[in-house]
Amino acid sequence: MAGLATHLPAYLIFSLVLFSFGLVAALARRSAIGIFMGVELMLNGAALNFVAFQALRKGVIANDNWLHGHIFSLFIIILAAIEAAVALAIVLRVFGTRQTIDADRSDELRG
Amino acid sequence: MNDMLITLALAIVILPLSAYFIQTIVGDRLPRQGDWLSTGAIFGSFLCALRIFAEMWSQFRPDWVVQKTWVWMDLSTLNIPWKLEVGVRLDNISATMLLMVTLCATLIHLFSTGYMRDHHGKPEDGYRYTSFFSYLSLFTAAMLGLVISDNFFTLFMAWEVMGLCSYLLIGFYRHKPSAANASLKAFMTTRVGDLGLFLGLLAMFAILKSFRFDDVYAGINSGAFANETIIGVSAAFFIGLGIFIGTVGKSAQFPLQIWLPDAMEGPTPVSALIHAATMVSAGIYLIIRIFPMLEYGGVLPIVAYIGGFTCFFAAILAIKQYDIKKVLAYSTLSQLGYMVLALGVGAYSVGFFHLITHAVFKACLFMASGAVIYAMHHEQDMRHMGGLKKKLPITFTCMLITTMAISGVPGFSGFASKDLILGNVLGYAHLHPEHYLLVFFAFATAAMTAFYMFRLIFMTFWGHPHDHHHYDEAHEVSWNMWLPLAVLAALSFCVVYTGSITGLGFDKIFGSANEWILKLNPAPHVEGMESSRHALEEAAHHVHTPTMIISILVAGCGILFSYLVYGSKKISAAKLESLWPNFVKKAIDNLYYFDWFYIKVVIQKLFLPFSAQNAKFDDAVIDRVAVDGWKDVTMLGQKASGIFDDMVVDGVMVDGVGGTLPTMLGTSLRSLQNGKVQRYLMVAVVALMLLFLFRGVV
Repeated sequence: MAGLATHLPAYLIFSLVLFSFGLVAALARRSAIGIFMGVELMLNGAALNFVAFQALRKGVIANDNWLHGHIFSLFIIILAAIEAAVALAIVLRVFGTRQTIDADRSDELRG
Repeated sequence: MNDMLITLALAIVILPLSAYFIQTIVGDRLPRQGDWLSTGAIFGSFLCALRIFAEMWSQFRPDWVVQKTWVWMDLSTLNIPWKLEVGVRLDNISATMLLMVTLCATLIHLFSTGYMRDHHGKPEDGYRYTSFFSYLSLFTAAMLGLVISDNFFTLFMAWEVMGLCSYLLIGFYRHKPSAANASLKAFMTTRVGDLGLFLGLLAMFAILKSFRFDDVYAGINSGAFANETIIGVSAAFFIGLGIFIGTVGKSAQFPLQIWLPDAMEGPTPVSALIHAATMVSAGIYLIIRIFPMLEYGGVLPIVAYIGGFTCFFAAILAIKQYDIKKVLAYSTLSQLGYMVLALGVGAYSVGFFHLITHAVFKACLFMASGAVIYAMHHEQDMRHMGGLKKKLPITFTCMLITTMAISGVPGFSGFASKDLILGNVLGYAHLHPEHYLLVFFAFATAAMTAFYMFRLIFMTFWGHPHDHHHYDEAHEVSWNMWLPLAVLAALSFCVVYTGSITGLGFDKIFGSANEWILKLNPAPHVEGMESSRHALEEAAHHVHTPTMIISILVAGCGILFSYLVYGSKKISAAKLESLWPNFVKKAIDNLYYFDWFYIKVVIQKLFLPFSAQNAKFDDAVIDRVAVDGWKDVTMLGQKASGIFDDMVVDGVMVDGVGGTLPTMLGTSLRSLQNGKVQRYLMVAVVALMLLFLFRGVV
């Protein structure tokens, strides 16, 4: 499985790009949905990273039953699903009260 | 046995004292306003005193003494060698005194229930009847406390309580300005004496570290005072003189006698109490207690001369008085002078004997005069009396008996005691011929006493009534007023004290005299003074017969002369008076200018300028410099601290640290908390990136 090891940088770069796009989206988008989508991208980037390293380990060590990378990424997917549910509910509530989902407008907590 | 006696002695004091407290608190709500309570309490004391006296009598020895001492304050636990012990001492003197005081006080209380009747049950009178009895109780309790003391400390305390009570009782008719002034005068004058007493006691304590009589006597014997001097004089002289000055104030001796005649402003039972049982006796009792110190310190000649002066000059004053109570007041002065004189020449037991006999007959005389005054509706001027012997037969009889006693008629108690005083003075003059003046004083006083006392009898009871209105209304007093008179008159017979009917108690003529009171009361034992005492005893014995003859002669002359002038009126009193030199008359009318001297010279020329200077000093130095100056200093300090407060505390600390700094911090930090979620995220990301960037550093 040396192929995966040699292609590892490509996976990592891809996950980095994915994460960066997500981060930029989370920081820069004005719509709460956009921010939410950015967070989803970051989570997926991180999950890809876990899977890539799990695969690398599989190729290097024979008969390895170490599964933490896969399980972690599964958890991330579950977490993302829950987050989607919660976040969409919040977004709906916010829209319900103020007829907008612009994150900068919801700043009642400012000091 | 001894414990029981000590308990009884304490009960003697506690009974009237508790009566005082009960009277003060609930007296006006008790039936009869509680007069029975005070009288009953003092009667209880009398019974206790009787028991103690019986015990003393059954022992009958000169050195009988029962005492018990408690430690009041002890600083030795703090490593300070200072210990104050107080206790009760019963010996022949105090047992006899207790009996005399309680007896007189009981009878005076009983008499007061009649005499003060006018004040009974009148709330608008301020419940004065109640307070009168409560004061009497406190007065008696203080005197009894003084007598049972075994030390000068509690003695001094009781002494001062008595001073207070005399003030309260003399000023009893407080709405009368003269009474208010008299009470103040009595209080202030005795204070002068108390100062001497206080200094003497302090000096004694400084040397001896004890106030107890026994320690004092032992200290004299062991020479504790031998090498001590205080302000240039020997310590014993200083202490003795100081304590004697206390007596001079309390027993109204020359030159502090001025308060006693004025004390007549009080109700008559009070006069009886002050003059017989309590106040003035306390002074004599004090000399008796401190006698060895006076002997040792060489104060006795001073004592003798002051006594001699007082008895002589007070007797002269008594001759000219028209107020029945003032006559008795000056006679008290004179008789007290006799006692002091007797003690001064060293006739210790004789002075004590006269104290007892005098207390009995003087209490009776005062109460009898009170009965007369009461019957005459508070008329005190003898010129308005006269012919009362038919109206007041019992009072007259009692007063006649006691007058004969004070005048020294054979067969009465005053004869025995006065005769002994005269004999001892004469004996003293034999031993010390330079003191013959004292003999003159003593005998002249004896003659004058007989004269003025019978003058009182003749003016009051003989002749024709001068004020028919009062005379017609006068009637014999009730039983509670004449009974005390009768009891005391019965005790004014010589046989009570000497066991001989006539009192002419010397062996050759009438068999042996049993002068128990003299045999019981020798002076506290002091070594090295026995010889002079024996010498005096010998000398007095030697001159006994001539003394007795002369004393009977002078008393007889006095009575006869008095009869001629005031009884049969063979000699005109006015003509007799014109024979006196003018300056003498003026001096007598002005009471020898003592009051004038004290008011015009001592108070106005000495004390008032001194107080004016004091006031000026107070104004200029204390007020201006000290008080105002200190004010200025504190004001300056306040201003400085105000500025500091404004600038540093308020400006820097409160406004700066507490105000400006947080505001600046807050305004700068609040921009972080802008409520924009993405900015928070940004900060977190940047912080995370910085963390990674500088993780080696952090």
